[in-house]
This record gives sequence, structure tokens and C-alpha cells, in this order.
Amino acid sequence: MNSTALAKAVVDGILTGGVYALMAAGLTLIFGVMDIINIAQGALIVLGAYMSYVLSVHLGIDLFLGLFITIPAFFVLGVGIEWAFMRRLRDQDRAAMSILVTYAVAIIIEGLLSVIFGVNFVQLHASYTDSTFHILGFYLPYIYVFGFLLALVLLGAMYYLLYHTHFGRGVRGSLQNRTAAELIGVNVNRVRALSVGLGVAVTAAGGMVFGATNAFNPSSGYDLISRLLSIVILAGLGSIGGALIAALFMVTLEDVVAVLWSPVWATLVYYASLIVVLSFRPNGLFGKAAVRAQ
Amino acid sequence: MRRSGWMWSCATVVAIAGLLAGCGGSSNSSSSASGASSNTASTSSASGSGAATGSPVVIGSSLSLSGDFSADGQAFERGYQLWASDINKAGGLLGHPVKLDIVSDASSPAQVVTNYQKLISSDHAKLVFGPFSTLLTVPASKVVNRYGYAFVEGAGGAPAAFGNGLHNIFDVSLPVIDNLVPFAKWVASLPASERPKTAAYATSDDPFTQPQIPLAQQIMQAAGIKTVYNKVFPAEVTDYAPIASAVASSEAEAVVLGSVDVPTVSAFVHAFIQQHYNPKVFIATAGPDQGGDFVKAVGGAANAEGIMYPNGWYPGYANAASQKLVSEYVAKYGGSPSDVNADVAEGYSVGQAVAQAVAATHSLDNAKIISYLHSGQTLNSVQGPVKFDAKGENGAAAAFVFQWQKGQQVQVLPTGASGSKPPVYPKPNWGS
Amino acid sequence: MTAAVRARRPVRALLVVIALAILGVFPLVFSNPTTTTIAFYALIFMVSASAWNMFSGSSGYIALGHAVYFGCGAYALSLLANHLGVAAGWPVFALVPVAGIVAGLVAIPTGLIALRARRHTFVVITIAWMFIFQLAASNLGFTGGTSGLQPPTPLWGIDTYNRNFYYVAAVVLVLTVVLTWVVRRSRFGLQLLTIRDDEERARGLGVRVVRVKLIAFVLSAIPVGMAGAMYAYFLGQIFPQFAFDPLFDLSIALMAFIGGLGTLAGPLLGALVLESLQQYFTVQYGASQAYLIIYGVLFLVVVLLLPRGVIPSVEELIGRWRTRSAGSDAGPEEPGRTGDVVKAAGVR
Repeated sequence: MNSTALAKAVVDGILTGGVYALMAAGLTLIFGVMDIINIAQGALIVLGAYMSYVLSVHLGIDLFLGLFITIPAFFVLGVGIEWAFMRRLRDQDRAAMSILVTYAVAIIIEGLLSVIFGVNFVQLHASYTDSTFHILGFYLPYIYVFGFLLALVLLGAMYYLLYHTHFGRGVRGSLQNRTAAELIGVNVNRVRALSVGLGVAVTAAGGMVFGATNAFNPSSGYDLISRLLSIVILAGLGSIGGALIAALFMVTLEDVVAVLWSPVWATLVYYASLIVVLSFRPNGLFGKAAVRAQ
Repeated sequence: MRRSGWMWSCATVVAIAGLLAGCGGSSNSSSSASGASSNTASTSSASGSGAATGSPVVIGSSLSLSGDFSADGQAFERGYQLWASDINKAGGLLGHPVKLDIVSDASSPAQVVTNYQKLISSDHAKLVFGPFSTLLTVPASKVVNRYGYAFVEGAGGAPAAFGNGLHNIFDVSLPVIDNLVPFAKWVASLPASERPKTAAYATSDDPFTQPQIPLAQQIMQAAGIKTVYNKVFPAEVTDYAPIASAVASSEAEAVVLGSVDVPTVSAFVHAFIQQHYNPKVFIATAGPDQGGDFVKAVGGAANAEGIMYPNGWYPGYANAASQKLVSEYVAKYGGSPSDVNADVAEGYSVGQAVAQAVAATHSLDNAKIISYLHSGQTLNSVQGPVKFDAKGENGAAAAFVFQWQKGQQVQVLPTGASGSKPPVYPKPNWGS
Repeated sequence: MTAAVRARRPVRALLVVIALAILGVFPLVFSNPTTTTIAFYALIFMVSASAWNMFSGSSGYIALGHAVYFGCGAYALSLLANHLGVAAGWPVFALVPVAGIVAGLVAIPTGLIALRARRHTFVVITIAWMFIFQLAASNLGFTGGTSGLQPPTPLWGIDTYNRNFYYVAAVVLVLTVVLTWVVRRSRFGLQLLTIRDDEERARGLGVRVVRVKLIAFVLSAIPVGMAGAMYAYFLGQIFPQFAFDPLFDLSIALMAFIGGLGTLAGPLLGALVLESLQQYFTVQYGASQAYLIIYGVLFLVVVLLLPRGVIPSVEELIGRWRTRSAGSDAGPEEPGRTGDVVKAAGVR
């Protein structure tokens, strides 16, 4: 196996890892703050991809500019989902019930998309989706590089929000202990709604980049969700920076194994490595020690 | 919540009771309901002219109208329905108008078994047509066999479908394993100075694509074409870029891709473009056959130029019945002839094979149909001749290779076959 | 025990007898092959959901990877039947319990690793195991790769075929329900419940948490393996993506939830309703794209209106009615009270 192929696999892994980090970012926030396993994340990504598709194909708006519309729209959607469904879940069974509720939401989204768009595969195109940067003998597709940069920007923004603002302190407080947070005046319901809104808003960006790098149809969400869950758990719940590193690590590992050995075993290694890491660090690479259930 | 909880429980019990009564109950209620479900496309199924009189013959089929195979399932449905309306215009089967009863299996094997039981026992279908894909064909053929029905299908062609000791299964389409042979033979026959020196083989982990590669590889290696890449990738990959990059790194002059759908091929094409990798020849087992959808996915006719794919049929096939099918399709569903999916022709051929067996045996009896189809007679179809061997495979099926040239699908191989145009070789560089 | 609870016993016994009677005569009364096929699938899911609930419902650890055991059972039956040359027909059924044991054995290492993790991580590890097995099955030679395996096909007629499978599944169901009942009533079952309520406290009281969780996990895998074996034999074909299917995992969890997590009859009811409705729905309306939307909305509505599931809601209702009419304290039993915890730890 020549070393160029190996180097390319590492580069590909890093770039694609960025895309996955973007898709997983919203998930880790919702998971970490709300104790909710959001199975609908895959469907939301596909929904985001379709929204970008509509803006791009029917209104001629550029993919990245269209994010100024889709991100706020998804924020509202996220708040709506929290208010309508997640708030009704009692704290005790929250994790368990969330699987059911988000699964139902995922099915509904898939059904709606099938009715509106049909089942044929589409892909987001722009003048630059096939162009590449030519650096050091590698061809780096624009779209992947932009997606990676977007991931850094959005993840950075989320991190800043969570660790350097009043709102963020409220979010982290409610994660630790809801009752205590309420006692010191945090409006937990509002904090939760805004967190979910934020998590879903970031997903709109993930959807756009996903749609620009893959052909998709309404059923494309299923393959994604298991990988995203793996990344989030590996990172440790609620860890934003961890999500980026975990995504880069997992995807790069998979790509390298695909080149060195075989793509089918690479996916198996992906999941096996998750199990291995979790055996040694059960809270994920960057997770905090056991948080008392509320 | 109290009263509603009580109501829900009662409602549940009532629902179960009603469900059981409905499912197992009289054929009237279920077949009229299923008449509604096959209503999705149009009312063409039994709208025959005065030529077809007599009691309707119900022909049942389970298709994937949602789920993984839904695009193909819908194309098959259209093929079946076009056939039904044509046969009714021509007098039906032995004078009886044909009524199609199509139910959806959501691409699930458990569901497909239930469906065929329902079609035959509840809806009293006299004949059945097959579902889409080998994955569903195998369990379906077994349950249909218990009823002694003939199982003619057009989309279960992988080796797993045959040789199970079942005698009732008949596949009108080309057996999958031979798909790439004309291509391999042609590449091997090119003069040594033009022939590609190296080849990369990448296939999806799928019973449809995997069997095709070894045969082609054997032929090409025998002609001195070195294998520089040969890997299998998982069927449910979300990111093809690393695999495509690896193929590009191998710098193989020929690429043989075992793909099952448009997204796979499209991902490879885009990755090749991004890596500035230009193979001299590129063939993909499925995806490029999807007409307009394929062209859009790869980003235009210029990108599709030169890509080859095997198939038993294409819209330009020089066969009178086939041309008629294409124009009927366009008249009914719009679009252009090149958008007509090969699945439509496969569905139509299933109907044709059954019709010819019925006509020859002057009966709708499944046992007679089965022995007729095994008798070695050659039948006609829009995909060409059909002749079943002992296993039920169509030995007379033509294996063609097509190529996208200037936005059109053109038959190019076998080079000597009627209708074949010269292939574009080497494949033009991307973006030229 | 309160008077109200004692009074409920004969009613429960009567319900059980009625249920068994219905189970026994169902295929004879409703002999339409479509109905018996759907009934068979319903039984398969009832077995699986019930077994799943025995572990997840009682311990609070939501396992989303039981497809591993379903698939292992399916493959075990097919491999053994083919390699040992077992004659098609009744003899192959003898392999069903063997398949269950194989699944149980697989549950030991996979469970040990998964159960070391906390609840959320546990869920994801079970999912990861599912994908690992699916990929392995798709690529190893002896599992037939992507072409899968085909167990021998019995040469029975239509009605006989469905009936025979139905009865075998019914027997497995009865055995499974008995198992779950025994576990529930035993001290072991109480220990599980205390783990759900507060694992640290349970450990502090002397409950051997790791061992209890693992045993429950393995016990829950065995019926699921048997269900997978029967399913593969019925269809006559097993492919890796259907043997190890993430949708199976979600379905049995849903069924148990909707029926009532942690209850005995809940998963049975949930599986019966959900599987029958789903098959029926797909046959009648699957052709329309709106099918998915309706399905999802129905789900959501049921889940939000009955967050504890049907059975607990019904029990609550009956309890309230009794309170109003009898005027005494007849609330539903609350598992996990201190007295139970102490009893579970074996402390007198």
C-alpha cells in the first residue's frame, strides 16, 4: 500500500470528520443538556438537506447563504419540538421515553418528505461542489474544506455560548442539577427550549453539508443516526470540543483501515473501537464523572 | 388522562377484534379495499375496451412502494400496469379482463410473505407476479410455491434466488452473474496498445453486485489487465469519498464498479472529478440506467459522458413492442423517452411471459403454466427473447452494455449486435 | 397485602385462562392464511418484547441491540440445520431451543462489556454490537455473506404450515411468559427493580449488581434467540440486514413501552397491537406515501397520551374506581419501596 494513499485517507478522514462533527454537534447538546436520545437527528439532517435543496433549486439561493434562512428556521423548529413533545416527558423516564418520541418524530419527518419530494435521490449542487484546492499534491474539495471550517465556526460559537455567557451557565447548571438551578433563579424550561433550539439550528448546517457531499432521499437518515450516536457517546455527553475530536478520530480511523485493510472491516472497526474506548473510559473521552440523575 | 386512558384501552380491544375480522373475513371487503390501494397510479387496470369481457382475472403482486427499493418498486408497478392496460385492450387473458391487485411490502421480507398469502387466499388472485429484488424474491417464491402458483418475476436475478429446489420460479431478466461479460470481453479484445493496463474493482456488499465481479475480472486478467485494486465496501456506507479516493490513488486505467443505485455511482463520479482522476473506461453495474435521475445526480450530461452500464434493456431498444411501451409510458407519465427506467420494461416482460403461457395452454391453471414455461419454448418480450432453463433463469436473455453519449443512452456492446453503435473510448476527461 | 389486591387474584387467574384458551383455538377459528401469518409474526414479537422487557423494563437499562440475539438464533438454526443435515419439517424445530442457548452464550461477553457502562452509554454500546454482528455476518464466509443462508423448507401445505409454526411459537410464548413471571415474583426480580430505582443504594444494601444485571440480560436473550430461529425457519431465508435489523430493536422497545414497561402483560399487548396493525396497515395502505405519516402520528399520540403504557394506565384507572367505590386505600402496588429493597437484599 503506497503512502500517498494512506496520507490521502488521513486527509479525507479529517475533512469528513469535520462534516460529521457538524452533524453531531446538535445531538451532543441535546443529549447532554436534555438527557434525550434524539433518534430524529438523522431525519432532521435530511430535512435540512431538503430545505437547502428547495432554496437552491427553486429560489436559486447559494447553499451557504441559504443557511441564513435555514438556521433560524430550524431554531424555531427545535424550540417547537421541545415545547410540544419533550416537555411532556417526565424526568424519570426521560431517556427511555425520548427514544420513542424522537423515533415517532423521525418517521413523521420521513413520511412528510416522501410525500412532498418523492423517493428519488437528489443532491445539492453548486458551481463549486466539484472544485478543489490543490495543495501539496492533494486535491481538497472546496465543499469539504468549507464544511470543516463551518464546523469549527459553529462549534466554536456553541462553546463560547456555553462557557462564557450567562445563558450558558444556566444550561450547564440545569444539566448538573435541575432543582438547584431553579433555586438560583434559572428558568429551566426556557433554558431547555433554547438549548434544543440551538442544537437543531446547528443541524441545519450539518444537513446542508451532508446534502452537498452525498446523494440523499427521505430514508437517508437511518444510516447516519447510529454513527452520530457513536461519536457523541465516545466524546462524552455534552462535550462540544469532544464531539469534534471524536468525529475526527473515528472517521479517520475508519478511512485508514479502509485503505490498509478493507472498507467492510473498517466499519466494523469503527464500532469495535467505540466499545474498546468505552471499556476504559465509560464516560467517553471527555465526559464528566457521573452526574446525579435529576 | 383517566377517561382517555380507559377509552384507549377499549378502542384497542375493539380495533384488534375488527382487524382480525377484517383480515380473515370475506374476500369482498378485502379485495375492494385493496382495489383502493392499487389506485395510486391510475384507473387503467381494468378500463379495457369492450374487447375484454367476462369475469375479471385478478393478478396479484407485492411491490416495494416505500422503503429502500421504492424507486424501483414504483417503476415496476408502472410496467405491470401498462401491460395490464395493453392486454385488456387486446382482449384480456382468454377473454377475461385483467385486474391488477398490487400491495406494498415496504421492502420487508416478512411483509412480502404476508402479502402473497393475502393476495392468493383472501383476494383470490388467480396468478401472481413477482416483487422487486432477490432479497424479497426468495421468501416470496417459497410461500407462493406452497400454493402451487407460478412465480414469474423480473428482478430477482442473483444466484441466491435459484437452485432452492423450487420449480415455480421464472426470471425473465438477464441472470445477474453474466451482466459484465460483454464488457469484459470487449475490453479484453481491444488491441494491446489501446487496452487498459490496469483495472480497479470496487463493489458494494450486495448479493446483486458481488457475483458479477469475479467473472469479469477473470476475463480481463486473462487478457493481461493487472488488478491494482479489488475491494468490497459495505452496502450502507454514508461516505464513499475514502473508497473512491483509494480507487483514484490506484490510478487504474479501467474502473469496474459494483453499485446498486444512483447515490453510489454519483459519489464515485464526484470524488473522481475532485481528485482529477480520469480512467480510460468506467462501468457501473447499476445507477447509470436510471436515466434522467442519474444525469442530474452526477451534475450534467458532460459528466455522464462515456460511463457504461450493463442492462437487458434501454429505451432506444430497436424492438417494435419496446418502442410502443416507451411511447405509452411517456404519454401516460410524461418526461422523455430516455427517462424510462429499465424496471418498467422488466415489469412489462413479466406480464408478457405469463400472457404467452396462458395463451399457449388455453388455461389459467398454474400447474399448466409452470410446465409450459419449463418446456423450452422461446417467448417474446420487450427485453428480447425469453427462454427458461431448468432453474428458471432466462438463458436467452440478451446482455447489452450501454454508454452515455451526449446525454443519450446508446447501446454499444456486444459490438456485433444489431443496433450497437461504436463505443466512445477512451472516456473523455471530466469537464471537457 | 390489602384486601383489594387479594380480591384481584381470581380475576387475574380468569384472564389468564381466557387468554390461553384464545391462544389455543385462534388458528382453528380464524384459519385464513393471512391471519395466521400475521398471528405468527405477532407471537414472535410478543416473545421478543416480553423477553426484552424482562431485562430492560425491570432494570431501567434500555437495550437497543437485542437484534444481535435474534440474528444469532436465526443463523444458529440455519447453520446447524444445514450442516447436520436435519430433515425439513418437525425435526428442525428441535434446533429452536439450541438456537436460544447459542444466543444466551453470545449474550455473556456482549452483555458483560455493555453492562459496565452507565445507562446512556449502555444504549449506544448495544447498538454498536448490533452493527458489528451485522457486518460480520455480511462478510464472513460461513454465514453465507450477503447472500445469507436458507434453512430447509418443510413440505407442508399452506394451512398446516402456518398452523404448525403458530403452535410452536405459542409454546415458546407461554414458556417465555412463565419465565418472566417467575423472575418477577422472585427475589432476583426484586433485586432488578431496586437497581432500576437506585443502583448505588442497591449496591450499598448488598445486592450483587453486576451479577444480577448480567443474568437478567442473558435470560432475556434466550427467548429472543428462539424467536429469531423460528422466524428464519418460517421465511426460509435469512439475510444479514434482516437478521440484524435496527428496526427490530426499536420495535420491541416500542411495544414494551406502549403496553407498559415493567409490567407482565404490557409487552404482550403492545406487540400484539403494534405488529398486527403494522402488517395490516402496510397491506392496505402501504401503497400510499402518507402511510408513514399516519403511522408516526399514531405513535406519537399514543405515547404522549399514555406515557406509562396501556396496562399501567388501566390499572391506575381500576384503582381509582375502587377507591371511589370502596373508600379504602387501594392504590396500585409501587415496586421499589424500602421494604422491598430490604427484602431483596436478603436482610430480614
